[in-house]
Amino acid sequence: MKNKIEEIRTQKGIKQDELAKILGVSRQTISSLENGRYNPSIKLAYDISKYFGMTIEEVFCFEEE
Amino acid sequence: MFNNKRLALSIFWVVVGIALFIMGVTETLDPIYGGFGGGLIGVGIAQLIRHFRYRTNPEYKEKADTANSDERNRFLSMKAWSWTGYICVIGAGIAVIILMIIGQTVYAEIASFFVCFMLIVYWFTYVILSRKY
Repeated sequence: MKNKIEEIRTQKGIKQDELAKILGVSRQTISSLENGRYNPSIKLAYDISKYFGMTIEEVFCFEEE
Repeated sequence: MFNNKRLALSIFWVVVGIALFIMGVTETLDPIYGGFGGGLIGVGIAQLIRHFRYRTNPEYKEKADTANSDERNRFLSMKAWSWTGYICVIGAGIAVIILMIIGQTVYAEIASFFVCFMLIVYWFTYVILSRKY
């Protein structure tokens, strides 16, 4: 699943480890999410979107694989 | 992860390890149990050191808590167990065929029992999980 986490994060000037700390996950998880290697749970997707002040659809691109 | 139950379990492994090691060295039991006891002592002490670090080092505590609650870590752990199961079953299946070809029927039977046992466990866990979720 594609997402705009890296784009939004850099726009806001937040580092990966800072975002990881805020969300209570490891920095590797943020890195994997940004690279599209790992799909988050609904809870984590919700937490990320909420932190960025956006909807889940604005951060994550749902496409049929 | 680093609660009092785990701490008690770590102490238990060390105590059991010491007992087995002494009985192995004094030949009350087969010396192989001495080696097994040594292994248990090592595991128990390693766990106790981690407990000590967790309770005294706030940085390590934060890191351990994050690693423990990280959903990707849990996903990776489940995936690794799943792959382990597949590899064991497929490996045992291949072993059955090879052992039958080379005429080791007794070992082939043991390997085939293992495959059957794993498949029965899979079926049971599938039924239990399907009722739960």
